[in-house]
Amino acid sequence: MTIASFVAMTIFLAVLAFVCIYRAYIGPTAADRVVSINVITTKVTVLIALIAVITDQYMFIDVALIYAMMGFIATLAVSKYIEKGKLY
Amino acid sequence: MQILNVFLVIFLIVAAIMVERTKDLLSAVIIFTSYSLMMALLWLLLRAPDVAMTEAAIGAGITTNLFVVVISRTRRTEK
Repeated sequence: MTIASFVAMTIFLAVLAFVCIYRAYIGPTAADRVVSINVITTKVTVLIALIAVITDQYMFIDVALIYAMMGFIATLAVSKYIEKGKLY
Repeated sequence: MQILNVFLVIFLIVAAIMVERTKDLLSAVIIFTSYSLMMALLWLLLRAPDVAMTEAAIGAGITTNLFVVVISRTRRTEK
Protein backbone atom coordinates (compact mmCIF):
# COMPACT_ATOMS: atom_id res chain seq x y z
CA MET A 1 0.00 0.00 0.00
CA THR A 2 1.42 3.34 -0.96
CA ILE A 3 1.92 6.42 1.19
CA ALA A 4 -0.74 8.37 -0.72
CA SER A 5 -3.49 6.02 0.42
CA PHE A 6 -2.35 6.43 4.03
CA VAL A 7 -2.50 10.21 3.63
CA ALA A 8 -6.00 9.93 2.17
CA MET A 9 -7.13 7.79 5.13
CA THR A 10 -5.64 10.30 7.59
CA ILE A 11 -7.47 13.23 6.01
CA PHE A 12 -10.74 11.25 5.90
CA LEU A 13 -10.51 10.43 9.61
CA ALA A 14 -9.69 14.06 10.45
CA VAL A 15 -12.79 15.22 8.58
CA LEU A 16 -14.97 12.68 10.43
CA ALA A 17 -13.91 14.20 13.76
CA PHE A 18 -16.13 17.20 12.98
CA VAL A 19 -19.23 14.97 13.08
CA CYS A 20 -18.26 13.66 16.52
CA ILE A 21 -17.72 17.12 17.98
CA TYR A 22 -21.07 18.23 16.53
CA ARG A 23 -22.71 15.38 18.47
CA ALA A 24 -20.80 16.46 21.58
CA TYR A 25 -22.14 19.99 21.10
CA ILE A 26 -25.85 19.30 20.54
CA GLY A 27 -26.10 15.97 22.39
CA PRO A 28 -29.23 16.01 24.57
CA THR A 29 -27.90 13.73 27.32
CA ALA A 30 -24.47 13.50 28.88
CA ALA A 31 -24.06 9.91 27.69
CA ASP A 32 -23.96 11.11 24.07
CA ARG A 33 -21.12 13.44 24.95
CA VAL A 34 -19.15 10.72 26.71
CA VAL A 35 -19.50 8.35 23.75
CA SER A 36 -18.49 11.09 21.31
CA ILE A 37 -15.35 11.96 23.27
CA ASN A 38 -14.49 8.27 23.41
CA VAL A 39 -14.84 8.02 19.64
CA ILE A 40 -12.63 11.10 19.18
CA THR A 41 -9.95 9.59 21.45
CA THR A 42 -9.88 6.32 19.51
CA LYS A 43 -9.84 8.21 16.21
CA VAL A 44 -6.88 10.35 17.24
CA THR A 45 -4.98 7.26 18.43
CA VAL A 46 -5.40 5.72 14.98
CA LEU A 47 -4.36 9.06 13.42
CA ILE A 48 -1.12 9.06 15.43
CA ALA A 49 -0.32 5.52 14.31
CA LEU A 50 -0.98 6.48 10.67
CA ILE A 51 1.24 9.56 10.98
CA ALA A 52 3.99 7.36 12.46
CA VAL A 53 3.79 5.15 9.37
CA ILE A 54 3.69 8.11 6.97
CA THR A 55 6.60 10.08 8.44
CA ASP A 56 8.57 6.88 9.25
CA GLN A 57 9.23 7.90 12.87
CA TYR A 58 8.33 5.04 15.18
CA MET A 59 8.76 7.10 18.35
CA PHE A 60 5.25 8.40 17.74
CA ILE A 61 3.79 5.04 18.78
CA ASP A 62 4.74 5.83 22.42
CA VAL A 63 2.66 8.99 22.19
CA ALA A 64 -0.27 6.90 20.94
CA LEU A 65 0.02 4.60 23.97
CA ILE A 66 -0.02 7.51 26.47
CA TYR A 67 -2.90 8.95 24.52
CA ALA A 68 -5.05 5.83 24.80
CA MET A 69 -4.43 5.64 28.57
CA MET A 70 -5.32 9.29 29.15
CA GLY A 71 -8.47 9.09 27.06
CA PHE A 72 -9.58 6.07 29.06
CA ILE A 73 -8.98 7.90 32.35
CA ALA A 74 -10.93 10.95 31.17
CA THR A 75 -13.85 8.77 30.03
CA LEU A 76 -13.78 6.92 33.37
CA ALA A 77 -13.88 10.14 35.42
CA VAL A 78 -16.78 11.64 33.47
CA SER A 79 -18.70 8.35 33.60
CA LYS A 80 -18.26 8.10 37.36
CA TYR A 81 -19.48 11.67 37.77
CA ILE A 82 -22.59 10.93 35.69
CA GLU A 83 -23.30 7.70 37.58
CA LYS A 84 -22.67 8.80 41.17
CA GLY A 85 -23.31 12.54 40.91
CA LYS A 86 -19.98 13.33 42.53
CA LEU A 87 -16.32 12.49 42.08
CA TYR A 88 -14.47 11.96 45.38
CA MET B 1 -0.07 16.60 4.54
CA GLN B 2 -0.60 20.37 4.33
CA ILE B 3 -4.37 20.00 4.09
CA LEU B 4 -4.40 17.85 7.25
CA ASN B 5 -2.88 20.78 9.16
CA VAL B 6 -5.59 23.05 7.78
CA PHE B 7 -8.36 20.67 8.91
CA LEU B 8 -6.88 20.34 12.39
CA VAL B 9 -6.59 24.11 12.87
CA ILE B 10 -10.20 24.55 11.68
CA PHE B 11 -11.21 21.85 14.20
CA LEU B 12 -9.44 23.78 16.97
CA ILE B 13 -11.25 27.01 16.08
CA VAL B 14 -14.65 25.25 15.94
CA ALA B 15 -14.02 23.52 19.28
CA ALA B 16 -13.01 26.79 20.96
CA ILE B 17 -16.20 28.51 19.74
CA MET B 18 -18.30 25.56 20.97
CA VAL B 19 -16.67 25.67 24.42
CA GLU B 20 -17.65 29.28 24.97
CA ARG B 21 -21.17 28.83 23.61
CA THR B 22 -22.32 25.90 25.77
CA LYS B 23 -24.17 26.58 29.02
CA ASP B 24 -23.70 23.08 30.45
CA LEU B 25 -20.29 23.06 32.10
CA LEU B 26 -19.82 19.28 31.83
CA SER B 27 -20.22 19.38 28.06
CA ALA B 28 -17.82 22.35 27.94
CA VAL B 29 -15.23 20.26 29.78
CA ILE B 30 -15.75 17.34 27.37
CA ILE B 31 -15.36 19.55 24.30
CA PHE B 32 -12.27 21.12 25.88
CA THR B 33 -10.81 17.62 26.24
CA SER B 34 -11.24 17.04 22.52
CA TYR B 35 -9.60 20.43 21.91
CA SER B 36 -6.61 19.29 23.95
CA LEU B 37 -6.42 15.98 22.09
CA MET B 38 -6.34 17.69 18.71
CA MET B 39 -3.74 20.15 20.01
CA ALA B 40 -1.51 17.21 20.93
CA LEU B 41 -1.90 15.80 17.43
CA LEU B 42 -0.91 19.17 16.01
CA TRP B 43 2.22 19.22 18.20
CA LEU B 44 3.04 15.81 16.79
CA LEU B 45 2.75 17.10 13.23
CA LEU B 46 5.10 19.96 14.15
CA ARG B 47 7.78 17.31 14.97
CA ALA B 48 7.64 17.83 18.75
CA PRO B 49 6.75 14.41 20.23
CA ASP B 50 7.84 15.30 23.78
CA VAL B 51 5.51 18.30 23.90
CA ALA B 52 2.77 16.06 22.50
CA MET B 53 3.32 13.52 25.30
CA THR B 54 3.08 16.26 27.94
CA GLU B 55 -0.01 17.73 26.34
CA ALA B 56 -1.71 14.31 26.19
CA ALA B 57 -0.88 13.52 29.83
CA ILE B 58 -1.64 16.90 31.38
CA GLY B 59 -4.16 18.44 29.00
CA ALA B 60 -6.32 15.38 28.41
CA GLY B 61 -5.82 13.50 31.68
CA ILE B 62 -5.15 15.79 34.63
CA THR B 63 -7.08 18.87 33.50
CA THR B 64 -10.25 16.91 32.71
CA ASN B 65 -10.19 15.16 36.08
CA LEU B 66 -9.60 18.42 37.96
CA PHE B 67 -12.43 20.18 36.10
CA VAL B 68 -14.84 17.31 36.79
CA VAL B 69 -13.92 17.41 40.50
CA VAL B 70 -14.57 21.16 40.58
CA ILE B 71 -17.94 20.70 38.83
CA SER B 72 -18.95 17.97 41.30
CA ARG B 73 -18.08 20.28 44.21
CA THR B 74 -19.93 23.30 42.77
CA ARG B 75 -22.96 23.54 40.44
CA ARG B 76 -23.17 22.17 36.94
CA THR B 77 -24.96 24.79 34.85
CA GLU B 78 -23.84 28.28 34.12
CA LYS B 79 -26.08 31.12 35.33
